[in-house]
Amino acid sequence: MRYYARKFAFYLVALWAALTLNFFIPRLMPGNPVDILMAKLAQRGGTVDPSARRAYELLLGTNSGESLLSQYTSYLGNMFRGDLGISVSSFPTPVSQIIGEALPWTLMLVGIATFLSFVLGIALGAFVGWRRGTWLDSLVPATTVLAAVPYFWLALILVAVLSSAWGWFPLQGGYDVVLWPGWNADFIGSAIYYGTLPALTIVISSVGGWLLGMRNMMVSTTAEDYVLTAQAKGLRDSRIMIKYAARNAVLPSVAGFAISLGFVVAGSIITEQVFSYPGIGSKLLQAVQNNDYALMQGIFLVITVAVLGANLVVDLLYALIDPRTRVSG
Amino acid sequence: MFLKARRFSRTRMAAAGLAAVAMLATACGGSDTAGDANKDTLIVYTGQSGDWQLNFNPFSPTQIEGPGTIFEPLFFFNNIRDVEPRPRLGKSFKWNADGTQLDVALRDDAKWTDGQKFTAKDVVFTLDMITKNPAMNGTGYKGVATAVDDTNVSIKFTEPSFMEGPQVLGKIFMVPEHKWKDMSNPSTDVVKEPVGTGPFMLDEFKGQAFTLKANAGYHSGEPALKKVRYLALSGNQSGEAALKAGQIDWQTGPVPDIKDVEKNYPGYKAITIPMNQTALFTCSNAALGCQGPQTDVAVRKAIYYAINRTQINALAFENTASEVSPGAALLERDKDQISAKLQEKTAPMQPDEAKATQLLESAGYAKGSDGVYAKDGKPLAMTLKVVAGWTDYITAVDTMTQQLQKVGIKITAQQVSWNEWSDARGRGEFELLIDALHQGPAPDPFYNASYFYSTATTAKVGEAANPNFSRFSNPAVDAALTALKGVDPEDTAARQPYFDTIQTEIEKSIPYIPVLTGGTTSEYNAKKFTGWPTKDDLYAFPAIWARPEASEIYLKLKPAGQ
Repeated sequence: MRYYARKFAFYLVALWAALTLNFFIPRLMPGNPVDILMAKLAQRGGTVDPSARRAYELLLGTNSGESLLSQYTSYLGNMFRGDLGISVSSFPTPVSQIIGEALPWTLMLVGIATFLSFVLGIALGAFVGWRRGTWLDSLVPATTVLAAVPYFWLALILVAVLSSAWGWFPLQGGYDVVLWPGWNADFIGSAIYYGTLPALTIVISSVGGWLLGMRNMMVSTTAEDYVLTAQAKGLRDSRIMIKYAARNAVLPSVAGFAISLGFVVAGSIITEQVFSYPGIGSKLLQAVQNNDYALMQGIFLVITVAVLGANLVVDLLYALIDPRTRVSG
Repeated sequence: MFLKARRFSRTRMAAAGLAAVAMLATACGGSDTAGDANKDTLIVYTGQSGDWQLNFNPFSPTQIEGPGTIFEPLFFFNNIRDVEPRPRLGKSFKWNADGTQLDVALRDDAKWTDGQKFTAKDVVFTLDMITKNPAMNGTGYKGVATAVDDTNVSIKFTEPSFMEGPQVLGKIFMVPEHKWKDMSNPSTDVVKEPVGTGPFMLDEFKGQAFTLKANAGYHSGEPALKKVRYLALSGNQSGEAALKAGQIDWQTGPVPDIKDVEKNYPGYKAITIPMNQTALFTCSNAALGCQGPQTDVAVRKAIYYAINRTQINALAFENTASEVSPGAALLERDKDQISAKLQEKTAPMQPDEAKATQLLESAGYAKGSDGVYAKDGKPLAMTLKVVAGWTDYITAVDTMTQQLQKVGIKITAQQVSWNEWSDARGRGEFELLIDALHQGPAPDPFYNASYFYSTATTAKVGEAANPNFSRFSNPAVDAALTALKGVDPEDTAARQPYFDTIQTEIEKSIPYIPVLTGGTTSEYNAKKFTGWPTKDDLYAFPAIWARPEASEIYLKLKPAGQ
């Protein structure tokens, strides 16, 4: 039990440290939101009268002269209550609403894509590792090359060929804008259709990593005595591969998968940028470009909690699976 | 928006390269992407990146649409051509002799989209509301309005305010008293169901797109354009892709190979309008805390003469920029106000290196062994800040660096993030930076001068200037700007001496070293709709993000074949 208490305490401290960094890092950045609003309006021509500056300072409540310490305490209090504040770049929409609207898109897209590439990578990796030394080994460099190609380049090639040229997939967006978002077959079908190409790009670019890791673990487990024993017993080849070798080889990949699930929440900024996808990554970009502290902190908080949560789950699961990790030094 | 245009330059180059692949492939396949459902819908991309957040409050800085389309001003001021303001909700207006009272006659046949009649009371309510809520008062309106009767409003000012006219009449958007008077906080209300008098009303709103539809009861007749759809895309690069696929009908922003738009995007046309002066901003005023060689006017002049503008235009701006006046007025639009007393009518397009070096030498600079001028042991070296990713400006800066090296001025370009750059610009913590000067609400050089050259809009180094970033301060210019506020803009002869003073003083000290007049480029679908503005008929500044200008263009557009 002490093990679990220690783990929970550690994660609490990590959460506090992350929250504190979230608070200070954006405030160390140069620039302020009012300047950015002014510059944006200046580019639209027109209402950039110097009086506008005062109006926006009043509206956004910047320049309040509040001390950093009192801002910090009220920030922690608000975070504790789940009040993430008001976004400056989409004033006056609450940050929680923006995140609430964007998060499901990212979770579905990146979540499903990550799961698919994991399953695909593990299955292929196990098979390639089992048949090491055959022509199948060439799958490893082939997929790692795909992973090494800069992601935006790969995505743009697929867009140019599959969307622009052949017209198989829509060019950009999350759904057909003629439809109404909601739980109906038309809309869900459209969302899946629009999400296929972005998901495909993520799968193609990340499957290589899983494949390589799984294949190499597979190679070392097949050299273990228990595999030799199983073979000596005359068990079916496929049974040895799946039940004996792959089952043990997959452990490190499972840990890696749990951690990458945490990062799913952060979304893929580039995917969302290339496909104009309405997810959390594009919101994060928007927040950074506009010095929108509240939105940045809200998104960081969600990411932090997700990553810490995923790690905690992995830690606890590992303690169950492998009792050796529980022994305290 | 050209801010965004400059991001992801590498991606853009990749896209351009891929376009060739795509073209080859289309030759075999060929697909018609323009669906029948969108036949009469104008689909636009404003440059906004990311999803729409509902906000139709015309006084909110983060509003997504409304000015001109849903909510109307009293008059439309064409800020690119010197023409009479076009009536919208107003019929005519008249100033008293000293510019302290503005009488406006309103039209009597306008209705709000909920059926109620528009009256002078709504105008007074709107103006009173923004005076009571400083957070909504983006134009700095300081008048007192009274309704004379249902169709006449009188606005009094405490000081001569001729120059306030275009703001009050053209940039304040009228809202209905019966809908707004019960709002608890009108400055932060997002106005979910906007009720206006304008030619368009909200049809439907979704995060990825919202649509406006024609107002059948519009006072000047239902517009021929029935629907306008605003798409949310992630930036200019996706805007280009959508343009290529024929999914959008109008966007404002540069695309590669601008001169061949008609060939690369069949059915589309492009228009480039010179609007903002690109300049090297200098922190020029040592008295307000500026430091560096650029505080010496001889150095600024030497740079002015040493740069090769023709070369910069060709290498950095695809020849879309044009000549620039050293006196801070626009050459074409303000040609009647350009002072005859200026030493040079336009900044030289070709460099005059002899003049540049002579200016430096007579100011006490001597060429060192490394070919760089120096004075009092300090070399003539400056840093020049440019935003990382703004590829055209970066090219311009690199070109200038080489040109200036030839005359012995050493420039070090610094690419910084936009936030860092705008922070340095605001506080005056820079030596040189490249940016553009913007214009005001009406075709009048007064506004640009009052924004960027007046003592009232500057601040000491370390404090935010708003927006006189060069810290220029000149009593003669300040006096001329104050005097102009009290001269009827119709009386051009009385105004000219003040413009002469402003322009010659600016030419003498060039706190913003003029480079070129930058062009704003739009690409639009001329096959689907007719009635677009042209260079001969510039009835409004053509930029999709310009409000209320875009609404004037919607009013003139007709689906092709009608």
